[in-house]
Amino acid sequence: MLLSELRPGEYGIVKKIGGSGAIHRRLLSMGLLPGAIVRVVRISPFGDPIEYEIRGFFISLRKQEAANVEVDKIVPLSLVPGNSDVRVIFIDGGVGFVQNMGAMGIAVGKILKVIKPCCPMQVQTERGIFTVGRGMAYRVFVR
Amino acid sequence: MLVALAGNPNTGKSTIFNALTGMKQHVGNWPGVTVEKKEGEMEINGTRVKVVDLPGTYSLTAYSMEEIITRNFIIEEKPDVIVDIIDASNLERNLYLLTELLELHSKIIVVLNMFDEAEKKYSIDVAKMSRILGLPVVPAVGIRGKGIDELKEKILRGKFNPKKVEYPEDVEKRIEKIEEKIRKLGFEPARWYAIKVIENDVEVVKKIKDKGARDILHLAEHLRHEIEDIYGDDIESVMTSFRYSFAHGLFHEVAEPINVGGVTITDMLDHVITHKIFGIPIFLAIMYLSFQFVFLVAAPFQDAIDLLFNGKGTVSGHIPGLVDLSYNWMVTFMPDWLSSFINHGMLRGLGAVLTFTPVIMLLFLILSFLEDSGYLARVAFLMDSIMKKMGLEGRGIIPLMLGFGCNVPAVMATRTLKDEKERKLSIALNPLIPCGARIQVFAFLSSIFFPSNPALVLWSLLILSMVVVFVLGFIYSKTIFRGRSEPFVLELPPYRMPTMKGISIHMWEKSEGFLRKAGTIIVGAAAIIWIFAALPWGVKYGSPDSYIGMFAQWIAPIGTAFGLTPQAIISLIFGFFAKEVVIDVLYVLFGSKDAILASMTWAQAYSFMLFMLFYTPCVATIATIYNETKSKKFTLFVILEGFILAALFSFTFYTIVTLLGVGA
Ligand SMILES: Nc1nc2c(ncn2[C@@H]2O[C@H](COP(=O)(O)OP(=O)(O)OP(=O)(O)O)[C@@H](O)[C@H]2O)c(=O)[nH]1
Ligand SMILES: [Mg+2]
Repeated sequence: MLLSELRPGEYGIVKKIGGSGAIHRRLLSMGLLPGAIVRVVRISPFGDPIEYEIRGFFISLRKQEAANVEVDKIVPLSLVPGNSDVRVIFIDGGVGFVQNMGAMGIAVGKILKVIKPCCPMQVQTERGIFTVGRGMAYRVFVR
Repeated sequence: MLVALAGNPNTGKSTIFNALTGMKQHVGNWPGVTVEKKEGEMEINGTRVKVVDLPGTYSLTAYSMEEIITRNFIIEEKPDVIVDIIDASNLERNLYLLTELLELHSKIIVVLNMFDEAEKKYSIDVAKMSRILGLPVVPAVGIRGKGIDELKEKILRGKFNPKKVEYPEDVEKRIEKIEEKIRKLGFEPARWYAIKVIENDVEVVKKIKDKGARDILHLAEHLRHEIEDIYGDDIESVMTSFRYSFAHGLFHEVAEPINVGGVTITDMLDHVITHKIFGIPIFLAIMYLSFQFVFLVAAPFQDAIDLLFNGKGTVSGHIPGLVDLSYNWMVTFMPDWLSSFINHGMLRGLGAVLTFTPVIMLLFLILSFLEDSGYLARVAFLMDSIMKKMGLEGRGIIPLMLGFGCNVPAVMATRTLKDEKERKLSIALNPLIPCGARIQVFAFLSSIFFPSNPALVLWSLLILSMVVVFVLGFIYSKTIFRGRSEPFVLELPPYRMPTMKGISIHMWEKSEGFLRKAGTIIVGAAAIIWIFAALPWGVKYGSPDSYIGMFAQWIAPIGTAFGLTPQAIISLIFGFFAKEVVIDVLYVLFGSKDAILASMTWAQAYSFMLFMLFYTPCVATIATIYNETKSKKFTLFVILEGFILAALFSFTFYTIVTLLGVGA
């Protein structure tokens, strides 16, 4: 789907940046790159532009500009309701963080079962049942 | 020694620049564009250092004025040291620009500014960062002057052993192939040129083409396609991704996040300030209060300056001002005409210039406050979809609203628009907004000629001007000012408490710039007006026997078609100097309200107001437009635009009314 189609509060992971020339380059240099996580923060009173959070900062894009970005909708683990199965898509952090999560069986591609929702939440992985804190749950994205 | 400050927008470059140079700075434009250039000087242990504040950029592509200026400056002026001012609270994205700078220059000092804010988000290992990069890294809090001494010391004695941003092997191989050939052309830094030509950077491609090295271009194109095939995406996405992963990796190496997912103050404020329903009323309220503040506070200062220069007429006679006193004194030792020229012409002009300054200072006080606090970015967010229709981004509403107060600071305020084309469009529309002085004249004339409903007449003019501005903006944005030169990607920074120092420097810059540059033009124009109004020597000032009077009589037959009487034309000519003068001139020519009423039909009066609504901006506005754009052609365009609209509306109105036979 297109970035412009996500609703406030929803998350997406960037698949491809389309467009050409200035808009293409500008989006890239703001860090909108394949693999980046975007959150829709809010929509302007008149429906356009839209505010997004990316890499910890906030930008406003006009719909026509946001429509250059292809995304897949994803959800941070912290927002997943209890009793549901999800697949890990992305872990937002450095090598250390990814390793720590991996030790609990939380890694890209793995299936998790959420037993108790956030926060703190309990998840079942192939390595057992673990408690995941708020700070961690916000950085693991699933579908 | 030459030092350049680079960095993302809004990271505190100017704050650090001010801390380094103090008051020893000079603000101008970069050659050929209306992008601001700030230069200053400082001394470190007896070494004189020139400092240049480069425009804020997110990257160094060839797609925006700011980016081209920045990279050309680095390539051509070869600064000894580049200081990359990084917003440490937004580290990852800010590091991206560093990856680009690393390819351009080897002596870079990384300043981690806003360290106070960064510490709330993560702990940063500064020493490790310096080690990894091989560059001096200085934590700083610009607003409190922290880190400035260390920065100075590093500028003089920093050690540089920079790490290269490495691409994967199959990309590096291809960069090297081109790099060799580039080196033979004599372009430096060769690696940067090589990367850019592979990325199909328009400016670099053009430069190489100009050298006739088509073989490089063919090779680059070939290599580009190979890389695109290997990585399955366009070259720009591929190369940017590599640089970003360097930034991303570095970020995670040196910064340990604390406090993820909490609600920030900015988020809470934005909940209200950009609210679906409350957002717009809050904006209008803020603008209204700012206006009240500016004009209420400025008025007594303006009156005082006016009193000082021009004196005051009272029941018991005229209290002389500086102009009269100086005239009387000079007349004792020089010819009458010369004393009159110096005092009634130039000194009075100087007085006019000075009366503008309180408004300019206060408006920029408020504007800097709104900008530095982060609110202006929210205005852009709120108003964008309306303003977009007339070819402007959301912030374009600010100068237009200021125009109702005074077009001079309003034109200066178009600087808040970052896009060059939008700035010009906005300047072209601004004089069509009736300023306070014109509204005052309209209110006066309406009350004389339309005593039963003056407010309705006044509103008809205000609404007409808004409709014209909107329609013209729409047309311009589809024709002569078509398309932004850059996409509208706006950063919404966190709310911050502005500092008094930052605001006062900004205020000072604006007022000083106006006084010095626009001021000279205005005083010059005042002198010219004097010549036409007072000569041939001996006639009554501005009377039908003066050159202005003769001109008015000569052009009167044409004026008839627009419903303009010769006296109306004379007053318009003086109105060119300052619009509020129109009333004074009419009084001087007719002597009383009744005589003014008797001099025109209501239709002529309305035509007169229509004409005055649009015809040429006043001298001060013209001087400011020229000063902002440095383009005679553009300034002339704005003047002509006004005359054409004025003629169009007054002619149409007057003709229709006359044909209907209801004009008398
Ligand atoms: N908290 C904090 N705020 C800062 C610091 N340095 C600057 N600021 C604030 O950040 C804002 C932007 O500062 P500027 O110096 O105008 O930034 P700039 O990089 O020149 O911005 P542009 O010229 O627009 O690119 C201002 O409101 C400053 O007061 C700092 O170290 N800490
Ligand atoms: Mg600045």
